[in-house]
Amino acid sequence: MGVIVKKVELGWLDRTYVWPVMKGMAITFGHFIRNLFTTTAKRYTIQYPDMKKEIPAGYRGLHELKRFEDGAIKCVACYMCQEACPARCISIEAEEFSDLNITQGFEEKRPAKFSIDMLRCIYCGMCEEACPKDAIWLRNDYEVAAYDRLSMKYGKWDLMNTYAEADGKDRITEDTTPTVPRRTIVM
Amino acid sequence: MDMLASLLHMTPAIFWMVVKVVIVFSAIMLLASVWTWVERRGSAMIQDRIGPNRAAIFGKIRIIGLAQLLADGIKFFFKEDLVPEEANKGLFWLAPFLAFVPALIGFAVIPFGKSFVSGGVTYYLSVLDPGNGMGLLYPLAIGGMAVYGVLLAAWSSNNKWSILGGMRAAAAMVSYEIGMSLAVVTIFMTTGGYDPAEVIRAQGHLPWAWNIVHQPLGFIVFFTCMFAETNRLPFDFAEGESEIVAGFNTEYGSMKFSLLALAEYSHLMTASALVATLYFGGWQVPFVQNPTVMLSVASFLLKMLFFAWVFVWIRWTLPRFRYDQLMHLGWKVMLPLSMANLVFHAWRMSQGH
Repeated sequence: MGVIVKKVELGWLDRTYVWPVMKGMAITFGHFIRNLFTTTAKRYTIQYPDMKKEIPAGYRGLHELKRFEDGAIKCVACYMCQEACPARCISIEAEEFSDLNITQGFEEKRPAKFSIDMLRCIYCGMCEEACPKDAIWLRNDYEVAAYDRLSMKYGKWDLMNTYAEADGKDRITEDTTPTVPRRTIVM
Repeated sequence: MDMLASLLHMTPAIFWMVVKVVIVFSAIMLLASVWTWVERRGSAMIQDRIGPNRAAIFGKIRIIGLAQLLADGIKFFFKEDLVPEEANKGLFWLAPFLAFVPALIGFAVIPFGKSFVSGGVTYYLSVLDPGNGMGLLYPLAIGGMAVYGVLLAAWSSNNKWSILGGMRAAAAMVSYEIGMSLAVVTIFMTTGGYDPAEVIRAQGHLPWAWNIVHQPLGFIVFFTCMFAETNRLPFDFAEGESEIVAGFNTEYGSMKFSLLALAEYSHLMTASALVATLYFGGWQVPFVQNPTVMLSVASFLLKMLFFAWVFVWIRWTLPRFRYDQLMHLGWKVMLPLSMANLVFHAWRMSQGH
């Protein structure tokens, strides 16, 4: 299949070079003047550390492990996210616990350890989709960086507190439920 | 002034000379380095970018990116000064100076202001007084010298990309020098002399008496050739990152590279001063019969900086020419055009205009 290339016939004015050059200069000068009188905030460039892009809803940034209002983790350690993860960056260890006084109630499962290797994570959001309890969210923080590999490995408490400041919540560093699960049969 | 001169054990004439030299050359070097900033910020504006604006003195005083000059200078000073193993070391060292010095001293004969009389002595505001016998032939000859710096830099670094760049620069110089010279010769002819002071006086203070109005063709040819002369886009064949790496300065680093870059900008300043002198009445102030000295200097500076800006402006407007297009333009377009210009004005003069 041939493509017909339209040949542009140049007029004598265009062939002098001078006129087209002047037209081009007018265009560039227009840009120059426009930018000269635009404040930095209104330019196309977002000057990163000073200005930040507005993150759209549904952006897949750093993860958060959601919690109930009393601070208990929502995650039930079902391993769905770990299975769904194409980068194999999630690793979970489950434990049992039970307490009558918490929202989840009764005898439950929860992660004893929950870690995401942020260097491996591709931020695809599959874990978020796989989660039956809505316990893991990918939210708007994209500034995930560290000086060494180890600190890019986010543990359970890191993940629960990733958005604590942004949401105005307390940082939690231990389960609000007893650390040693008690086996009591409740009916 | 005489007292200062005697304090320094100089005759007033020599003292005045020293003052002029210091002022002119430091001004050009300052302007050249500032123009690197103008180029970067200006190109950024033209391309809807921001440009260097983050360099700051003590991390505080940003002065719209001008601190970048300082930062660049300091960085260049502290870079390791590498000389390639197989390079011709003497020439390699010499080349940046050979590029820099002609670019700077080409300015010597150009009057940057009206002469004034003080205490019965006439002070001319050009480094060499008018009537020195060289006139405008001098900047042209020196301009021709400038390519030696590029060629030597290319040749001595013993690098194939470099030598290609240097060859191209030399070839471009040959193909443009003739057209440019003929355009200037036309001005000499209509002026009746080649002293810059004479050329400026002949143009007068009325803008429609300036050479740009009488010889627009000559101006276009001359100005285009100045782009080739200063090795700037659209004719920057000595470099060309997509074809021959960085061209003639591939092997250069640290202060030697910065000297080569500074040479380019000094050349640009000298070239725009030449354009202002030859075609735009030099220090003449439009519609002012007898301007004061300061006004004439300001007028000259304004014209010069405007053309220096046009150099930047054009660079960021036009794409590069291909090498054969440049040759075509030089030999088949510029040369006949400037010849036609010359013949036309010769005919006009013979008709008694």
